[in-house]
Amino acid sequence: MITLVPMFVSLLIWFGLWLYLLRLDRRIKELEKNAK
Amino acid sequence: MIWKIVLLLLFIWVIIAAWSFVPPMSGVQTPEVYRIFYFHWPVALVTFMAYAFAMYQAIRYLKSKNLDYDFKSNTAALLGTIFCVLATISGSIFAKFAWGSFWNWDPRETSITVVLLIYLAYFSLRSAVNDPAKKANLSAVYAILGFIAAFFAIFIWPRIMPGLHPGSPGGESSARFIAMSGTTRLVVFPSLAAFIVLYGWIYSLAVRVHRLQQEAQL
Repeated sequence: MITLVPMFVSLLIWFGLWLYLLRLDRRIKELEKNAK
Repeated sequence: MIWKIVLLLLFIWVIIAAWSFVPPMSGVQTPEVYRIFYFHWPVALVTFMAYAFAMYQAIRYLKSKNLDYDFKSNTAALLGTIFCVLATISGSIFAKFAWGSFWNWDPRETSITVVLLIYLAYFSLRSAVNDPAKKANLSAVYAILGFIAAFFAIFIWPRIMPGLHPGSPGGESSARFIAMSGTTRLVVFPSLAAFIVLYGWIYSLAVRVHRLQQEAQL
């Protein structure tokens, strides 16, 4: 229990950050396409 | 896309392994707390790499006088400082449970404060100069000198002065040394790789946004 809670919190934070970066990457790619 | 999935899998592996598979480190008072090492050490190392990269981009600027390299150097240093703050916070939590206090003025804790001050002064310098070319020239020279000072503060000073961190001469440091077993390496090195890729990803996003802004201005 001591380690399970921080493990799930860490997983949630990193997955959230990864998803945010992925969406940002896609948005930038779209803007790059439009700029061309 | 593949490397982005690999990055996600790396982080999942590191988090699950650090909190569940890897046994608590033996020979220390609060073994469970040492799991933070799998995040603290890689983040601290990426900080140093980021400042080295900022210096590399500063040298490229001085050679070419291309302002793009100035932006890259600034971005590298800015991200390095974010990682430096994360290393300081995680180190402070680590210190509370390992040595009894959030801050002990151990040589390495003092040196990370010095490094943070060096790079905060770098950003102050940049904000104080309006002329882009003058700002880039001063920043590039500062980024080179700042990295030399940071290298001394991170790698030389803590190895000369007795302190609490592993690797410090004398004192109780040898009893607190974290020996990396095979299992530890299986977690700490993927963690380092993941943080390097994460740094590179955020850096490349910042550079691409900067390029779009420049194209929009033309």
